[in-house]
Amino acid sequence: VLGFLAFFAGPLLFSFYVSFTSWDGLTDIEWIGLDNYARIFGLQFTTVGDGQAVTEVLKQNYQELIRWGDFIIAARDRLFWVGLRNILVFSVTAVPLAVFPALVLAAFLNQKLPGVKFFRAVYFIPAVAGVVGISLIWKQLYNATVGFINYGFVRLWDLINLLPGADFTAPQPEWLSNARVTLFSVVIVFAWQAVGFNTVLFLAGMQGISGSLYEAASIDGAGAWSKFWRITVPMLRPTTLFVVATTTILALQLFNELFILFAPQQQPSGPNNSTLTPVVQLYQEGFQRFNQGFASALAWVLFAIIFAITILYFRRQREDVAA
Amino acid sequence: MNTANAPTKTRAQQRAARKARSGEVTSIWSKVGIYVVLTVVAAMMLFPFIFMLGTSAKTSADSFRFPPRILPRDPVIGEFNGEQVPLYVISIEGSEQQTALVEEGIRAGLFALSDDPTDTYAWPLDRVEATGTTVDYVIEGETESLEVFRVPIDGEIVELPKIRNTSVGRFVDVDDPSAEGFGVVRTSQPVEDISFHWSNYSEVLDIRSFDRAITNTILVTILVVAGQLFTSIMGGYAFARLKWTGRDRLFVAYLGSIMIPFVVLIIPLFQIMVRLDWNNTLGVLVWPFFYTAYGTFLMRQFFLSIPKDLEEAAVVDGAKRWRILWTIFVPLSWPAIATLATFSFLYAWNSFIWPLVAVDVGNEDSSVLTIALSTLGGQGADQPQLIFAGVTLAMLVPMLVFVAAQKYFVENVASSGLK
Repeated sequence: VLGFLAFFAGPLLFSFYVSFTSWDGLTDIEWIGLDNYARIFGLQFTTVGDGQAVTEVLKQNYQELIRWGDFIIAARDRLFWVGLRNILVFSVTAVPLAVFPALVLAAFLNQKLPGVKFFRAVYFIPAVAGVVGISLIWKQLYNATVGFINYGFVRLWDLINLLPGADFTAPQPEWLSNARVTLFSVVIVFAWQAVGFNTVLFLAGMQGISGSLYEAASIDGAGAWSKFWRITVPMLRPTTLFVVATTTILALQLFNELFILFAPQQQPSGPNNSTLTPVVQLYQEGFQRFNQGFASALAWVLFAIIFAITILYFRRQREDVAA
Repeated sequence: MNTANAPTKTRAQQRAARKARSGEVTSIWSKVGIYVVLTVVAAMMLFPFIFMLGTSAKTSADSFRFPPRILPRDPVIGEFNGEQVPLYVISIEGSEQQTALVEEGIRAGLFALSDDPTDTYAWPLDRVEATGTTVDYVIEGETESLEVFRVPIDGEIVELPKIRNTSVGRFVDVDDPSAEGFGVVRTSQPVEDISFHWSNYSEVLDIRSFDRAITNTILVTILVVAGQLFTSIMGGYAFARLKWTGRDRLFVAYLGSIMIPFVVLIIPLFQIMVRLDWNNTLGVLVWPFFYTAYGTFLMRQFFLSIPKDLEEAAVVDGAKRWRILWTIFVPLSWPAIATLATFSFLYAWNSFIWPLVAVDVGNEDSSVLTIALSTLGGQGADQPQLIFAGVTLAMLVPMLVFVAAQKYFVENVASSGLK
């Protein structure tokens, strides 16, 4: 209990207080009220006329964020919005990739075929291996010139080109330096690591489903496919909710993979800020520029987002129990 | 329906029903399909680790070779006329021979064999004869006028245009020194054999900071696991069995704290550590993680499921709470304790962001494995084999723990997470 107060409740309150200050962590704290939050959320909607420079219409310190024709949305802290967009794109791609395959794999593993335990253990390995080591391995696999993945593409396209009339050049993406693919490269690493853990969670959920349900369905003549969709998936709803919620919360805090994949040649924010995430921004503001007040505010905004998802999860879960 | 078939059909249906209990598929093709998918996914999961193991035993040059290979290979050195020379496979007189490279840097011409400028043949200039004529040849869309030479190929003399000058090596058949051939050394195929350079491992351990980081990580992990187990068992017992004011309210607060991401706490924790002057010490990696809301929750749930009769009997015997906890509750809770221990272990062993901010980059004395690997990944970018040897070492312990605890871990993690 004492530990709870010392290392949890206390820091939490302190962090909340700091988020209203401008503080570099060393000198005196200066109370600036809501300004950190105003900086994060500061947006300006405006239009730019003919022959007018964009900078003329923007408020001081504001930077252009999006532009449709003459209409401009500018932000006081452009990077926050870039990070928010990146993490949303990341979560929307990575979470399904880490959840759907896990569901299918769990359904296969649930067939009680020989060797299932072996596969289950293999799928779990990435979850215990540690994200730093894994990112180092993938960094080498992603190498654009001597990496295995691009070499695999060459070989695969060689196969495709055996088809009559086919003559394609294998794509050789620069996984870690082309700003348009970097985020997706991280999605692959994340999903690859998360899918095994989720499989095990799904499998546990499936083993809790009563066998009599399947039996009844078989007597009604249901095939494996319809049994999966009509019994397994609906009965797994609590597990699915849990898996989606935890994976999303994990995805929103993306940092370690970025730090390893892009260091040391690049910042964890990747080329052209293509992999800037809220936690990366928090790290850069709080521990590289020592704007600890602003970084605390960032942390609270991130927490608010995660908290909203958690509440949503609990509400859904309660509805399910009630229904 | 044919009545004669009816009994067998019923039996088949029974069999199907039995299988259906667990939602199993029955057809042999579905089974084959399932195994194919499971195996492909398993290959995808294992490949990066196999690649890691292979690369960790390569030489530096081998790990940058294209096309990449899994197994480490070394060029074979042979003896020729009492000298150590590298061996290559070269075509001599139309047949592939194992040869020794005896001379390098011979001035040679690169001759075009066909209209394709990449289809070439290299031969020393002092062994060809100019015809004095030229021919038009298209290279990358531009027509050039090239000199034509008489070039011996496999014993025949062929007239070929010379694209440019190059340099070749002289290769001599190991078994028959009179047979010789020429070729561009860089593109020749060296004779290689598979050899594992396990010395990479001792080399990476010789890096002082890495060696120190392993010790630190082990120390930190043991302390964190022990601390978390202790506080979780105590806290879990307090929440499950003791009655005190505010207990349930505090428990809700505990539960809520599970949801709070660690990043929210990084800055205040860092500030506290700076105030206490604890940053840059190993303690900074241990103390904040002594308590775990998740562990307390897990232990409380498990303790609640232990029947009260057991301890009441002990209380009648006059046993103290402390003794009841350690002699009755703890031995009964092994599955939960093992799960929690594995979880804490993986968390402590693999934690990255907190050591990154709490310990200065240059501070090797308090560095941990994850940080050491990250640094190595940066500094040793030209030595992937060392990085991978380090990664393998760092993964070894979690893997062993996983194998040992799999029985508890995989089965209990899942169910406990869902409660």
